[in-house]
Amino acid sequence: MSVDKDETQLRLKAAVHYTVGRLCQRMGEVHRREFSRQVLAAIAETAFRQCGQFKHILTFSPDIFAKDLEAFARHAKRSTVSSEDVKLVARRSTALSIYIQNKSEELNQEQRDLKKKNAGKRKSRDTEERAENKDKTKAGL
Amino acid sequence: MADKDAEIGFKKETVSKLLSSSFKEDKTRLSGDAALLMAELLKVFVQEAAVRSQKQAESEDCDQVDIEHFEKILPQLVRSSKMGF
Repeated sequence: MSVDKDETQLRLKAAVHYTVGRLCQRMGEVHRREFSRQVLAAIAETAFRQCGQFKHILTFSPDIFAKDLEAFARHAKRSTVSSEDVKLVARRSTALSIYIQNKSEELNQEQRDLKKKNAGKRKSRDTEERAENKDKTKAGL
Repeated sequence: MADKDAEIGFKKETVSKLLSSSFKEDKTRLSGDAALLMAELLKVFVQEAAVRSQKQAESEDCDQVDIEHFEKILPQLVRSSKMGF
């Protein structure tokens, strides 16, 4: 149904516009130079188009991101685009790829920490006992 | 400032939907991590566009960033992004 699709696109545009507005407002505060409404709309529109396709990172051609992400996933015989695909796409831009690599590692670290935290709650007693034994052994030596 | 920056960003769901609507095949999905990274990518793009526009406005002694400033920096933003900023 094209009417539903249009409405979804409008809502997505509005969502993008909202976040762009907030990001730019923050930057306006930081650098003491604010943006006209027209500029916000223009940046939002450009950002919106970026999500469609992705030939080169941050190119102005519409609908560039998704195409390449999809191609990478398909090449790896997956139907789910993973963070590895995003990293590959980001690799074309050196500065961006470093940033994305760091972000990706941050995410993995967060997940590992979360797992540790959950495991720790259950095993804390065991760990304490083991640590005590370890100290005893060291003292013995 | 890093903490404040972390608060504002594109929602995972928004980015997922945006990208999903452009995938050619219905079965192609975006993993959670990929969506988060894409949200970061988009945020970086917006911030670059914004700060460059601000610098352009500054160089023209304008107090406010107007559409002309954004239009002037857009070609270079596109060009430099291809080579890695």
